[in-house]
Order: sequence, then structure tokens, then C-alpha cells
Amino acid sequence: MEISTLMLQILAGLSYGMLLFMIACGMTIIYGLMHVMNMAHGSFFALGAYVTYSMVHAKLGFWPSLLIAAAVVALLGVVIERLLLNNMYGKMNEQVLITFGILYVVQDLIKWIWGTDILTIGVPKILNFSIAMGDIMFPAYRLFVIAFGILVAVALWYMEAKTQTGAIIRAGVDDREMLGALGVNVKLVFACVFMFGAALAAIGGAMAGPILGLYNGMDMEILTLSLVIVVIGGLGTWKGTFVSALIVGMIETFGQVYFPNFSMAIVFVFMVIVLIVKPSGLFGKGVTA
Amino acid sequence: MKLLEVKGISKSYKALQVLKDVSLDLYEQERHVIIGPNGAGKTTLFNCIFGTIPMDKGQVLLSGVDVTAMPSHKRVSLGMSRTFQKNNLFEQLTIEENLHLAFSSLKPYRRRLFRPLASYRDLAEDTEKLLKEWKLWDRRDRLVHELSYGEQRILEIMLAFASNPKVLMLDEPTSGMSVAETALTTQIIQNLPRTTSLLVIEHDMEVVFAIADRITVIHHGEVLITGSPEEIRSNEMVREIYFGGGALKDA
Amino acid sequence: MKKSEKNRIILFALGAIIILLLPNVLSTYGIKLTSELYIMSIFALSLGLIMGYAGLPSFGHAAFFGLGAYTVALVGKFVDSSYVLIVAAIAIGGLMALLTGLLFVRNSGAYLIMLTMAFNQLLYVLFYKLTDYTGGADGMSVSVRLDLGFGPLTGAKGMYYFTAICLLGVFALLYYLVKSPVGRISYGSKVNDHRMKALGYNTYWYKVFMYTVGGMLAGFAGALYGYYNSFVSPDSIHWGLSGQALIMVVIGGSGTLIGPPIGAAVFVILQNYISSYTDRWPLIMGILFIALVLYGRGGIVHMGQRLWAVLASRLKKTGGQSRTSAEQEGYRNEAP
Repeated sequence: MEISTLMLQILAGLSYGMLLFMIACGMTIIYGLMHVMNMAHGSFFALGAYVTYSMVHAKLGFWPSLLIAAAVVALLGVVIERLLLNNMYGKMNEQVLITFGILYVVQDLIKWIWGTDILTIGVPKILNFSIAMGDIMFPAYRLFVIAFGILVAVALWYMEAKTQTGAIIRAGVDDREMLGALGVNVKLVFACVFMFGAALAAIGGAMAGPILGLYNGMDMEILTLSLVIVVIGGLGTWKGTFVSALIVGMIETFGQVYFPNFSMAIVFVFMVIVLIVKPSGLFGKGVTA
Repeated sequence: MKLLEVKGISKSYKALQVLKDVSLDLYEQERHVIIGPNGAGKTTLFNCIFGTIPMDKGQVLLSGVDVTAMPSHKRVSLGMSRTFQKNNLFEQLTIEENLHLAFSSLKPYRRRLFRPLASYRDLAEDTEKLLKEWKLWDRRDRLVHELSYGEQRILEIMLAFASNPKVLMLDEPTSGMSVAETALTTQIIQNLPRTTSLLVIEHDMEVVFAIADRITVIHHGEVLITGSPEEIRSNEMVREIYFGGGALKDA
Repeated sequence: MKKSEKNRIILFALGAIIILLLPNVLSTYGIKLTSELYIMSIFALSLGLIMGYAGLPSFGHAAFFGLGAYTVALVGKFVDSSYVLIVAAIAIGGLMALLTGLLFVRNSGAYLIMLTMAFNQLLYVLFYKLTDYTGGADGMSVSVRLDLGFGPLTGAKGMYYFTAICLLGVFALLYYLVKSPVGRISYGSKVNDHRMKALGYNTYWYKVFMYTVGGMLAGFAGALYGYYNSFVSPDSIHWGLSGQALIMVVIGGSGTLIGPPIGAAVFVILQNYISSYTDRWPLIMGILFIALVLYGRGGIVHMGQRLWAVLASRLKKTGGQSRTSAEQEGYRNEAP
């Protein structure tokens, strides 16, 4: 492979990995803190993309559309968390089934509202150019996605290491019962974390729009990839998710080049290998489910 | 002959060293009670001996066989058994079904596919015998959650005893019990056949002195002293920990 | 034989008779629908087995169903014998379940869910993309006919009786499996795996075994579906189908044998009914499902059991009253 193609592929892999990171980290944080395996996370991703599409088509411009989509999904997330999941903490089976039901429902809802055709969102005008580095033309949008992903990671790191909220969440992941004992408003924390995870997934979906396009089944595809990433990285650790999301993004992208039909299989084999060598994931602390 | 030898067990959780070079042993026909303040690491010790958690350093020998690397279920087949501090029963099942599961683990038909488990006569007989001995035969069709806490605690011991173990480890058998229940349980423990040696963690000093042949005191994850009940009762350091610094006896 | 045991056998016989007489009162369409219902019941039972009796939540069970269906379609191009094809489907379903089970079962609930979903999706993508072999999204037709040795079963009634007998057979088989030592021990592992290990059981192998049986049965159901539908597409290995099976098990009642078939019946009939009015039946089924999980507490079987318990205690009271009045009558009659 030529250097230029290689570099572009790496860029594509990294940007794809960043998108995966945005949804997978929401899943892993929600699981780590609330022990909720949120099957509906794929739905948040898809809805983020589809709502952005509609807003763009209402002539709203990419960025306002993205924000609206994030807000809508965040609201949906809060509603789901308060109404449906609220009484089910501790009953993991019920939670999983409920979020699964939501995935099932939303998938049909999307078909109903937006139909079954493949839709596209154009790259936002402000980023619709390429940066020349030597002979290679890097699409600015992809660079932006990577930059944004790094920003999110830095923000998460900062919040976790330096703020009180982060400390609370970290403590909660280690020992949930302690949270209540510390006088923390657990309900509020849970609702906020869930909402944040949902919003992040929606933003990821909106940003994925110009790259992946919008199609039925994207919710399940992204959910499966997120699950694989979370398993590889380790449940409950967003740092692990960051690393494994990038790895998976690269594997998927390069896999598409060399083995177009089997990239998913390669990812899967990689996950199996990781599981055999380190059952709780690359960075997992052996969090028991 | 030594049934159980525990040599130099050390265990740390991150920065905290929970157990430091703990050694003790258990002879045939013996009742050995472990006492120590809360948080001294006693249940962790049980977890290490039984194989529930891995230890950092140390060795466990059962009848001379090194079981340190063996998973828990293998240790059971070699004659070890344990109870848990918090009731660890089959909540949705009846007492009878609980015992069926306990007895079946060493039965030859535990891997069979064809006959219903409940139809094996020896299983029914073993269950009936034990239930009648421990006065729960009339309640055999009750679900676990219909039992009183004390009865559940007794069932907890029964499950561990069903395999007729050489070494039975009881983790705070009388915890949370009323005075009457404690007395009953003490009696049950005393009436256990001597073919089963006991390693017991207990807080209630009356129970401790009623059943112990030997006592080991654990403090801050280390063995302070091992000796006969009289030696322990009269030991200065022990008195300091229990009768000087804070009472051990359950309220 | 205990009385409850006798009652169960009588109920089973009654059920069997009703099932075998049903074609006489159903339209051809009804017969076909009920056949599909029986196939889905077997599929639901296979999932209900591993979830309710071994504590293995799988969100990707359609993987084995689809493998069974595609086995019949693919191998059926080279081999005619129905016996060989069905056995092959069962074997492949079982083998894949064994291989993945060995790896996945070690993990706890959350990981298991994720891994089964990932494996399901993986197979879906493979079958979808290998267009040359599988026909891809367009699917492939099943050219073989079901022939058990006395001529091809082409009519709706023939397929009906065959699927009905298969269901009854599977049901009876599972009844004895869950009562057997292996079944009871697996169930114990579901109720409290930690204690089972502390009692001396190597629960890993029991779970792998049950998972393999679940895969075999799902493959069997898939094979039947291939014959029934004469056509197989990636829909048969799509996660939506895994979801359907899950919904059936939950609606009917996990942890029982009669639950999954009831759930399958409710699902198939409801889906059929709703889809004649609107395309939005997944939406409606999904909402019903969520409502049931939130408020249903155990599915139809458990709700039915509680209803029965309430009714039984009411009946006892009125029975007592009429007895007393009869006594009074007798007393009056005796008095001079």
C-alpha cells in the first residue's frame, strides 16, 4: 500500500475509532456506575444521526442540528432513566430486558419516521476541505472528529481526576453503596450520568452521519461494536474503552481493505484472543457483573 | 494426624495487607475456633483456605495433599466444606430441594441425564435422616424465605455438612441469632460427629468456650496466639484486646 | 407416582390430543400459522432452557437457529435425505454452541450477553455478505422437500403434524432433562452459582452442556423452519429474531417449560393480528414487552399461577359453605 493511502487509512481508522469511543465510553461508564447494560445505547447513536438529518433538512445547519439532536436524545435518556430504569436498580435482568425493548421499539420507530432508505448528511461546510501534508490530502472533517474525540477524552480525564463529580463517580464505580452513605444524591447522579452518556452517543451519531451515512440497522451494528470494544477494554473503565475503541476502529478500517467481508470476524477473533489471555479485558479490574 | 495445614498465608488488597503470614492447623477430631476483632481478616482467611479467592503467598494442605492451586469444588471433593457469614442458600427452593443439591454433589449419578433426581432413593433417605436429626423434617416443603433467620442459619450449616466433610469451616454460625437460637445452634455444633473436624470463626465468647478444643486469636491480619481455652482466657494480650479495649460478646 | 405427576401426564396427553385434532377446525391459513407457532415454540424453548434452567442469558440465540436453517438450505443442495439434513442442522447448531459456550460461559451475565450478541451479529454479517454461497440479502430457496420415508410432506397438514409431533417430543425430552440430576444441578447453578461451587460442583461444565443442548434445539427449530418456509434469508439469523425469542420467553414466563411455548403463541398470534392492520407490529410488541417487564412480574405462567392460587382459595371458602348447608340438610333429614 502506498504511503499516502496508508496515512489516509490510518486517519480513517482513528476517526472511526473516535466515533466508536464516544458511544462505547457512555456504555462503560453507565455500566461501571449503575450496573446497567444499556442495550438502547445504539438507539441513542442512531437517533442522534437521524434527528440531525431532519434538522439539517429543515435548513438548520449542521452544528445547530447536532446540538438539537443531542438535546433531544439527552431528554429521552433522562425520561428512560427516570421512568423505566428507576425502580430496577439491582435487578439487572429486568434492566437489560427493558433497554433491549427500547432498542427494539426505537428501531421500528426510526423505520416509521425516516423510512428504510439510506440517508446522508453532508459534511458541514466549514470543514468541507482538505489539508495538504506533503503529498497527502487529509479531509479536515476527519481530523476534526479525531480532535473532538481527544477533547472528550481529556475532558473525561480532567473530570475524573480533578473534580468532585469525578471523584464521586469513581467512588461509585468502586463501591455503590458508599455513595448513598456519603450523602450524595444518588438519583441525581445516576440521571445525569445516563443523560451525559446518551448525549455523547447522540453527538457521536450526528458526527458519524457524514462518514457512515444513515441506514436501518446502524443502531445494532454500532451497539455490537461498542459491546466488543467494552469487552476488550474492560467494563467500567473509560480509559480502556479509549484504547480499545481506537484499536477496533483501526482493525475494522484496515480489515475492510484487505478482507472486506470479514472485518467483523477479525474484530471478533481479536476479542476472543483478549478474553482468553485476560478475561476481564485489557484494562479491566475484574469487575464482576 | 493433621487434617488441615495452613502455612504462611498472606493476602493484600491494593495497599492494604489483610493477612500476614498466617499459619494454623487442624487435627482429626478437633474443634478449632478462630477469634479476633472485626476486620481482623478472618473471613478473608476462610476465603483463602477454601479457594474462593487467590492468596498472594502461602500453602494449604488437606490431609497432606497440597490444594493451594485447586479450585474450590475440587477441595470439596477432597473433604473440605464451608458456610458463609451471610446466608448463601437457594432462596427460591424448598428446604428439601436445598438439601438434594447439597447431597448430590458427591453422588455417582450427579452427571446422569435420565432419571429424575428426586427419584433416587438414597438421596431421599439421606435428606430425611438429616432433616429429622435437625428437627426440620416437618418444614421440608417450605421455601427458604419462609424460615426464620435462625432456621436459615441452621440450614446454612446443614448444606455444608451434607457432604460429610473431614474439615467443616463455619463462618460465624451464630451471627445475628437470638439467645435461644444461639443455644440451639451451639448444641447442634457440639453434637456434630467428631469424624468431622471443625474450624470455626466466632464472636460470641460463650459459644467459643463451649465448643473449642483450641483457639487461635487473629489481630490485624496476624496470628497473635494459638492455645487451649485456658491459655487464651488467661493471656495478657488477649485480655487487653477483648476485655480491656472492647467487649467481644454479642450484644 | 405422585398425584401431581399423574396430573401432569394427563394434561400433556390432553394437550397432545387437542393439538392433533386442531387441523380439523382451522382454515389452511390457520394450520400454516400454527405450524410456524410450533417451530417458534421449539426455538423459544431452546432459549428458555438456557436462560431459565442454566442461568445463561443469551441475546444472540438466533445464531444457532439460522445455522440450522442455512444448513438445510446449503447442504440440501447436495444431500436429499431429510434425516441427514436435520441431524446435520442439530449437529452444527450444537457444535457452534459448544465452541462458543466453552469460551463464553465462563463469563458472568453482562459479558455473556455482549458476547452472544457479538457472535450473532458476526454470523449475520457473514451470511449476509457471502452472497455467492448464501444468496446474501436475497436469501436462498430450500430445494429439498421434507421426506421421512413415506413420500414428501408437501401439504399444510403434513407439515402441521410433523411440527406438532416435534414440539411434543421436544417438550417431553426437556421435561425429563430438567428433572434429571444434570438439569437440577444446572438449575441450582442458576439460583446460586456461588453456593453450587462451594458445594463441590464444577458448574462450568454443566452450563456448557446446557448451552450446547440449547444450540442443538435451536438448530433443530431452524431446520424445521427451512422446510416449512422453503426459503431461508439472513432474517433467520438476524438479531431481531434473537430478540423475538427473548420476548417470547419473557412474556410466557422464564423458568418454566410451558412458558416459552405460551409466549411463542401469544407473540405469533399477536404479530399476525397486528400486522394485518399496521406494519408497526415490532413497535407495539416492543412496548407491550417493556410494559410486561415493568409490571408483569414473571410472565403469563406466573401470573396465571397467582391467579389460580387466588381462585383456589376463594373456591375453598364457598365449598366450605355448601358443605355446611348440606350437613344441615342431612341433619334435618335425620331428625324425626
